[in-house]
Amino acid sequence: MAGKSRSEKWFLLTHVPATLVSTSVLAVLFLVLLHQSLPALKAYGLSLFAESAWSPSEKDPAESRYGLLAPLAGTLVTSLIAVALALPLAVSAVLFGEEVLPRGLGSLRGAYSSLFEVMIGLPTVVYGLWGLSVLSPLLEEGLYQALYRTLGFLPLLSCEPLTGSTVLTAGILLAVMVTPLVYVVVLNAYRHVPHTLREAALSLGATRYEYARIMLGLIRPAIVAGALLGFGRAAGETVAVAMVVGNTLRLPTCLLAPSYTVSSLIANQFGNAGLYPLMTSVLLAGGLMLLLVGMASSLVAFIYLGRANRFA
Amino acid sequence: MPDIRRVKERLFLALVSLLALAAVAPLFHILATLALRGLGAIVEAGPGFFTQAPAAPGSGELGGIGPALLGTVWLGLVSALLGVPLAVLTGVFIVEYRGSLLAGLARLSTSSLVEVPTVLIGMLVFLLIVKPMGHYSILAGAVAVSLVMLPYTVSYVERALSQVPHTYREAGYAMGMTRSQVAYRVAVAIARRGVAAGVLVGVSKALSETAPLLFTLGSARGVYPTSPGSLLEPGDAVPLLIFQLAQTPYENWQELAWGAGLVLTLLVLLLFTLVKLLVREVRV
Repeated sequence: MAGKSRSEKWFLLTHVPATLVSTSVLAVLFLVLLHQSLPALKAYGLSLFAESAWSPSEKDPAESRYGLLAPLAGTLVTSLIAVALALPLAVSAVLFGEEVLPRGLGSLRGAYSSLFEVMIGLPTVVYGLWGLSVLSPLLEEGLYQALYRTLGFLPLLSCEPLTGSTVLTAGILLAVMVTPLVYVVVLNAYRHVPHTLREAALSLGATRYEYARIMLGLIRPAIVAGALLGFGRAAGETVAVAMVVGNTLRLPTCLLAPSYTVSSLIANQFGNAGLYPLMTSVLLAGGLMLLLVGMASSLVAFIYLGRANRFA
Repeated sequence: MPDIRRVKERLFLALVSLLALAAVAPLFHILATLALRGLGAIVEAGPGFFTQAPAAPGSGELGGIGPALLGTVWLGLVSALLGVPLAVLTGVFIVEYRGSLLAGLARLSTSSLVEVPTVLIGMLVFLLIVKPMGHYSILAGAVAVSLVMLPYTVSYVERALSQVPHTYREAGYAMGMTRSQVAYRVAVAIARRGVAAGVLVGVSKALSETAPLLFTLGSARGVYPTSPGSLLEPGDAVPLLIFQLAQTPYENWQELAWGAGLVLTLLVLLLFTLVKLLVREVRV
């Protein structure tokens, strides 16, 4: 750094180390997860992700069998339910705020979008608490019994609901939690659509339904991005899901039965995993999968967002 | 005969309104339940709710969340002490050295960190701090939540500083100010509301997260961390207490969890209101 003044050097000396620390967190996380999950990957190979088994043995490492298929499938199914429910809710919420709420009342619109900001900021454990003692009994009595009685012939609904802690409850609670997130992404794109395009649609005499369809078509990449970000967030969500998913190791073949997700398995088992050989490593391999899913979904989401921001 | 397009429009507006209502209804239900059951628990426990430790499980008594509340205060203080300087220095560097490789990497890496499940941060801190130390500690918990706070605060600081017009910086340099002086006395001073909002959003995240604490903090539910020395000992925090007590079959502990949930939510709402007063739009 020859030629730089003393004050410039001083600036770099204080800011570069801090920036290096902040920058390296993600890389360190990835490398530590990868390194620590190698023992499990060596012991079980790819069957770690393709088999469903969980029989830890305290004494003989060779006797313990682990397979993460059930929690991986649980994560996938609960997150897909969450996105499928959150998407129409979030898009409708944007349309309601932008097209139905009266424009003149600026403060009303502001208060309306503040609701979603509050929902994003609400602690996840509070969602879990509500999900556990309010939502899941409500769904069990009000919805699941009826679903089972009327649509029980469908394979996905063919098991008798014994408690409210089920795959579907986890999916619905996750939907509540990610809806505001998807809302924010969609709203941003919606507000960036140029006035000329809006006026063109209106000048053709479009009804509000036709107008909304045109607008949604214009921001389709942002809707995809919102869905992906919501999926990533749902897949990584831990405590709220652990409180309602039932924490039972079985494949989520029926939505009215309890299951597990990778993150809730980690939440429940990682603290004591040191007692069993390889279990820590197995759970870290699950964590690595969560990291990869989170990174991949946000990466693709940002590519789509770049496309959506062609108006911005 | 009614126009089919108008009928469609009516149906569409009704459906949109209904779904929008469904999107926000849970918030009101959550807040109402929190107020009802949380306030019930706090009134029943009396002022001891904020000072005592939880009563024995299954007993008629409630006790309180004193140790967890104190632990949350420590977590907030220590994580802010660790996380805020790190985040502000990083944010300032990203803006001052915009275009450099490190600034670009720092921006990419910290913004991706927001999408990392926070339970993984807990696992990382468990492996790097808890395991070598041999036991859980408030310090380990604080390190974990400071890493959770980091990306939020960096992004607020960075955005706030980027909005400072160039002319002000140029004026600073023209007066013979050094880069540090321009960065802090001009840019940070002008963007102080945004920077303060970033700190508050970060602290709010640090206080409300549970997953990073699962394998770092320990659940020392009856111990009051009164001296700085207790930072190296296991502790408790309000979100962790809620998570664990709510899942027990004991009614008095579940009630305690609702009271704690109300306290935590009010704390988060207070910070949210402060942020709203500082900046118009809250991004989380």
